[in-house]
Amino acid sequence: MTATTADQGAHAPAPTQHGAVRRYLLGPGWIRAAWMTALFAAFGFGLVVVLRWWGGWHPLLDWQPIILVSLLVSAPLGFLAGLGTFDYWVYYALGKPTRAEDHSTHGAHSWKDYFRVNTDHKVIGVQYLVTTVIFFLIGGLLAMLMRAELAKPGMQFFDTQTFNGLFSVHASLMIFLFVIPAFAGLANFAVPLMLGAGDMAFPRLNALSFWLLPIAGLMMVLSFVVPGGAFACGWTGYAPLCSSHQPMGAIFFNQGVQWAGASSIMTALNFLVTIITMRAPGMTFWRMPLLVWANFTTSLLVVIATPFIAGSQFFSMFDHVMHTSFFDANNGGYVLGYQHIFWFYSHPAVYIMMLPGFGIMSEVISVFSRKPIFGYRLMALSLMAIVVLGFSVWAHHMFVSGMASWLRVPMMITTLLIAVPTGIKIFSWLATIWEGKLHFNTPFLFALGFLSMFVIGGLSGVMLGAVPIDIHVSDTYFIVAHIHYVLFGGSVFTIYAGMYYWFPKMTGRMYNERLGKLHFWMTFVGFNLTFFPMHLVGMEGMPRRVADYAPKFAGLNMFISIASFAFGASVLVFLYNMITSWRRGPIAPSNPWRAMTLEWQVSSPPPIFNFTEIPQVVGSPYEYGVPGAQHAILTPSKTRETEELAVT
Amino acid sequence: MRRGPILALLGIGTIAGVIATAVAIFLPWLPPEASDERGRIDVLFWFTVAICIMIFAIVVAVLLYAVLRFRAAPDDDSDGPPIHGHTGLEIVWTLIPTVLVTAIGIFSAIVLARDDALGKNVLNINVTAQQFAWSFEYPDNGKVTTGTLRLPVNRSVLLHLTSKDVIHSFWVPEFGQKQDTVPGIDTSLHITPNRIGTYPVICTELCGLGHAVMRTQAIVMTQTAFDKWIQSQTKATASPNPSVSGAAVFKNNPCGSCHTLAAAGTTAKVGPDLDKLPQYAQTAGKPLADFISESITDPNAYTEKGYPKNVMPPFNLPQAQLDALVQYLIQSSKKG
Repeated sequence: MTATTADQGAHAPAPTQHGAVRRYLLGPGWIRAAWMTALFAAFGFGLVVVLRWWGGWHPLLDWQPIILVSLLVSAPLGFLAGLGTFDYWVYYALGKPTRAEDHSTHGAHSWKDYFRVNTDHKVIGVQYLVTTVIFFLIGGLLAMLMRAELAKPGMQFFDTQTFNGLFSVHASLMIFLFVIPAFAGLANFAVPLMLGAGDMAFPRLNALSFWLLPIAGLMMVLSFVVPGGAFACGWTGYAPLCSSHQPMGAIFFNQGVQWAGASSIMTALNFLVTIITMRAPGMTFWRMPLLVWANFTTSLLVVIATPFIAGSQFFSMFDHVMHTSFFDANNGGYVLGYQHIFWFYSHPAVYIMMLPGFGIMSEVISVFSRKPIFGYRLMALSLMAIVVLGFSVWAHHMFVSGMASWLRVPMMITTLLIAVPTGIKIFSWLATIWEGKLHFNTPFLFALGFLSMFVIGGLSGVMLGAVPIDIHVSDTYFIVAHIHYVLFGGSVFTIYAGMYYWFPKMTGRMYNERLGKLHFWMTFVGFNLTFFPMHLVGMEGMPRRVADYAPKFAGLNMFISIASFAFGASVLVFLYNMITSWRRGPIAPSNPWRAMTLEWQVSSPPPIFNFTEIPQVVGSPYEYGVPGAQHAILTPSKTRETEELAVT
Repeated sequence: MRRGPILALLGIGTIAGVIATAVAIFLPWLPPEASDERGRIDVLFWFTVAICIMIFAIVVAVLLYAVLRFRAAPDDDSDGPPIHGHTGLEIVWTLIPTVLVTAIGIFSAIVLARDDALGKNVLNINVTAQQFAWSFEYPDNGKVTTGTLRLPVNRSVLLHLTSKDVIHSFWVPEFGQKQDTVPGIDTSLHITPNRIGTYPVICTELCGLGHAVMRTQAIVMTQTAFDKWIQSQTKATASPNPSVSGAAVFKNNPCGSCHTLAAAGTTAKVGPDLDKLPQYAQTAGKPLADFISESITDPNAYTEKGYPKNVMPPFNLPQAQLDALVQYLIQSSKKG
């Protein structure tokens, strides 16, 4: 800490009273963010009012464009600018002298550093994870409210608008603000370390991508308080329901997705460039850990697919706010166009939410089985196969939509074929575990939970791929069960595994193993009791996204609701463990899991610049049990404390 | 591999398979079957489930055996055998799933083609969806219109679906067939009912506030009963007596799926109670006949307290039908 402040002092002129106030108000930070947010919001407001007055409309009569431009577009830009995410680029673009890179925005020495624009990939990783866990809690709370309403048929606690808002915001938060960015956070922390790199390729872009996220999340949550209530058309936001039959909350969804999507695209570009150009000497593609492979393939998906959802949301919003008719059939719009564009992103998004988890699984399973990953190359190739096939299956979400009927069989074939590379991965993990020396630490328990649950989700996915079965069950609770087996039993289990696995590396402390195991068992049992019966009610005829249902489903729904509350309680154990361990847990050794990948060869937490010298990679990262095998040769790293002492 | 693990794997796999099969057989997974299409879907369903149970049992067997057998002692810091792969095994678990999913794909394509193939003497029905009601028109039978779908048994029925506002989806679980209704696009759905009975029609695509209650019934009857019903409908709507023609209009439109009306025997509580119409008209300060007529053609002009606007769609009935319906509602609500 002393090092960085001393550095800043050297650059700045002698401090005066006047200078201190100036810096306080004009320097990057929360103060400047506050007034710049207000200023930009006012500017957006003025812009719309002046343009409307100029165009001959009543300037204030329609609040929708005003809210859109001032609150959802320009205020967030003001916030980002105020916080300082653009400072360097603005100085550079204006030809002013840029602040010399004094690394004052690198590393975290106190909790306050997590609330600044920080360019350190490790700090950003933690910022991502804490933020996403907060949105995970909000999303989970919304699900609890939903289950309370669904415990009995009839309406008990909410009106329909609110209920439809609950499941719409629940899904949007879980997808756009938890699963996708939580993986980005874990990868942000681990990937540069695993590559033997000092940081990501574009640290400032990395910081910007993070700060876009809370904006997106806040928009989705705030939609509950705008007049008319939250957007209530599901996270899929199908037109024309969402584009012309919704209260103002709908544009909060449209815009929230844009901010989250922009964040995703920037992060993905950053990963691609980092992985392609910043691998340590000797780190060939075939020596990269599978987590790196997974994020490489995921980033390809994100970069290619995400612009499509951006397009779909812009069109939908234009229909809503400006009365265009992209999806308005009465004026020549094409309703199914929305679904095609939306799913062209949102099906690959399913893999965006799964491939990084596959990467985490490969790390955890290999390390805790003390064996090399079985069939490494095929594992990497099957990731690539999923990327390619993933773009050719989007219309399997539309088998009953009324699209061209010839499209169904080809889409069914590609959908079913995706089961093959996915199966390869499952069987290879099983083979990795076979004859290993299994250590049942919490990350490994979650990995085993993932293997068993994801198989169920995958198999119900094969059933859904078969068109005639899909016709019967689409838009029923069977789908709700399937998506949760894939996204919770699949993705969230791997996120939990990853969080426990890298917890010692991120915080420098060990988590409580007993609480971790308790958390696993509560999650595993609660999850199955909650979601397995949903297959049944769905097949029998209960549609999804309903606030009320036929009395014959009352018994099972009561059971599901009770189970879901117990399931929800498991998250409290997780939180308690994370918070108390972060504060008071036993100090973690640098390599508690005896793993071979590079992030475990440096101190916990890693030094500010990761490696004293760039490591020389000499072999595969999974050579467990091979006598004398080495992944890389490192100069012994200094711990954070000795490094700081040296600088001072 | 030695013989011990193989026997143990077989054992665990069989137990897991038996349990999964029991879950599949003893839980009531599918509602009763009432169409030829559902029959074929069920066969495909059980074929796929059998394959899934097999795969699931294999995975569970390997997983459980490994967990029980390969647990490391707490102080055991040694590594497992450095096995990097096995080309033969990898080829096997690429090829077998490929064959299995291909089989499912071919089977599905056949079922799909047969489900879509029309039978002889097809009955055409136009289905119109709107927030939040269904209406069914029989174009081959004097354009009889009804809010409850009636179908003759064992006859190929082709539904032509359209929507007036947003996307809805037509589903009868017992028929197994489902199709979205899309504004601007005509979609169709083929059903061959094969069991007499009454089944729920459910909207499965989120369509707004009343989505959960957008339901009606499908009644499958004999061809004779169906013909008789068509005739009675044609007669009733033309009757000069409003208590006959108005009652028919009420039944043929989806009024009863949301409103209570003692005279028609409906008890739904989504919309206001129609037995209290005189009282509502008084609150609204309008003559009863005008009030009822306005509430049908322009429901948002006045909404009773406690009921949101924009839930009931406007109904544009032919003038004669509207008059009959208004008279019928005046008569029945005054009685009630």
